[in-house]
Amino acid sequence: MSLEEWSNLVFQGILLGVLYSLVAMGYNIVYRVNKSINFAVPQVVLLAAYVSLIVAVAVGSFIAAIIAAVLVSIAVSMALERTVARPLLGRPPVALIGATLGVFYALKGVVLIVGGSRVATIPIDIDYYEVGPLDIATNDVISLAGALPVFASVVILHRKTRFGAAMRAVAEDAEGAAAYGLPVKRLMLAGWALAGLVGGLGSILLAIKTQVSPELEYFAIRALAASLIAGLDSLGGVIVGGIALGLAEQIGSKILDPYLPGIGRDIAFLVLLIVLFVRPYGLFGSERIERV
Amino acid sequence: MPAGVFKETYEADMAFIRYPIHKAALIAAIIALLAAPAVLDRYYLSLATTALIFWVAVMGLNITVGLAGQISLAHAALMGVGAYTVAHAALKLGLNAVLAVPLAGITAMAISVLLSLPSFKLKEYYLAMASLAAQLLLEYAFSRIDPDQYTPVPPEAKVLAGVDLNNPVNLYYFTALVAVLMAVIAANIARSTYGRAMKAVRDNDVAASIVGVDVPLTKALAFAIGGFYAGVAGGLYAIYSVGIGWEAFTLIVSIELLGMVLVGGPGRVVWGSLLGVLTLRTGWTLLESQLTPLLSALGMTAYASAFKYIVLGAVITATIILEPEGLIAVLRRVKEYFRLWPYSY
Repeated sequence: MSLEEWSNLVFQGILLGVLYSLVAMGYNIVYRVNKSINFAVPQVVLLAAYVSLIVAVAVGSFIAAIIAAVLVSIAVSMALERTVARPLLGRPPVALIGATLGVFYALKGVVLIVGGSRVATIPIDIDYYEVGPLDIATNDVISLAGALPVFASVVILHRKTRFGAAMRAVAEDAEGAAAYGLPVKRLMLAGWALAGLVGGLGSILLAIKTQVSPELEYFAIRALAASLIAGLDSLGGVIVGGIALGLAEQIGSKILDPYLPGIGRDIAFLVLLIVLFVRPYGLFGSERIERV
Repeated sequence: MPAGVFKETYEADMAFIRYPIHKAALIAAIIALLAAPAVLDRYYLSLATTALIFWVAVMGLNITVGLAGQISLAHAALMGVGAYTVAHAALKLGLNAVLAVPLAGITAMAISVLLSLPSFKLKEYYLAMASLAAQLLLEYAFSRIDPDQYTPVPPEAKVLAGVDLNNPVNLYYFTALVAVLMAVIAANIARSTYGRAMKAVRDNDVAASIVGVDVPLTKALAFAIGGFYAGVAGGLYAIYSVGIGWEAFTLIVSIELLGMVLVGGPGRVVWGSLLGVLTLRTGWTLLESQLTPLLSALGMTAYASAFKYIVLGAVITATIILEPEGLIAVLRRVKEYFRLWPYSY
């Protein structure tokens, strides 16, 4: 393979990785405030993508499509916090896993009604540019330009603002935070809403970068793998984990495809199992010490 | 302490039949099981057969998840391993399908033990995700083994010692025999040393290791038994089907199986599992056959499968939130009310 092919492969890998990290960040934020994983995210991502497709076709503006996707995702995420996560506070993790998987199951039905299993592209004009050895399309630029500011603002929000400090306090010790007078329940709701926002944005950027199809569901599951590879409680690690996964997927499928056709989709899970064997709490996650 | 009749010895408390209602229910269940082919027509008989097959699978998952607390989202894939073992043993080796069922159980058990390795280090969400990864990797393996999504199970392999399992009544009795056998074993596992060790690991694994429970061994055992049940259920499914395709063993089926455990009653291996299967699978199929004319009258036939997902998903989530111990806890409350009646205080 030539240098040009390799550099394009790496560029596409990084681009996919950035989108992985965006969706993975949604899981991460929920885990931080609530110590739980929202397994319903893959269907929320798919739902947001189909709604944005419908809006984009009906209204003809892709800004409206972005707004629709983000609003749907935030609304579903907040509804889940109120109706599923909050009643289950203090229950063992298997209850939350089961309940969010039930929501996953139910939302699959909603997605079937809203979008069927259609495959379509969001209608935008795509131009192609050549920058050095790279072939860049308009949708690549849009997804990068959409994702990077969101990363930056979530990290700044998390590290520099009072709101972020309050959220970190809730993540660290919810009861202690409540004792200091922090509105724990509202902060948890805000956390889920923020997760919905990143998830929805990830969904529409993915739809623009690739296409709207049931495959997005698996993309979001792989993003969960990225989040675990990085470690569930590391916000900065998610970006590294996502990009590493994007690269592994692009390069791995190129190398392995002659031997195992179609393995590309499942490389993430191979990488995840290997990482979990070597470092059970992810590459950047902190190990929990348990007391009895 | 409420009024009523109480058990005074440990043996009495651990017995299979503790109250008159248990005896009555058991006798009714045996009569129903034996009389079903005489009463039901072919459609309902095949429904009963699939319910029994899924009962075996859900009992296995209930041991892994309900008793030992190890979350597994790869159970449908393990069923698939069992089903493909039987189909390929019959197709390629010319083995009798019935004799291949134990082989299916052992193959699935071996893979399940392999899947238990992450559980030595991982817990909860990480473990759930590791098993989800295993499920999707096994789905990939199935898609390579069976690219057409159709592997026939030869009908001549389904005859053993003159009994033809292509006949639905014979198949029903054979499935019932295997299922009841597996249920008796499962009930005893739950009461044995290993069953109690599993419960200890589920409730607090660090504390369990301090009192001398071999935690990795117990986890591996829970996965092994769960995998064996899944493999046997998959083998029975292959005998039941004319041909198998891997779309019957996907992630969404794994979620359904986990839902059956949590809705029926996690930790209540025999009856909880049965209740889960009857609610989510048989119950829905019966409801659907009533619903279909209504949907076609409304012109919404295309949405039938969507409604299945929405209703069952809502049932799973609502049951977990409102009834942590599953629907069997509701039955128990009803039983206790009448047992203590009229002095239930």
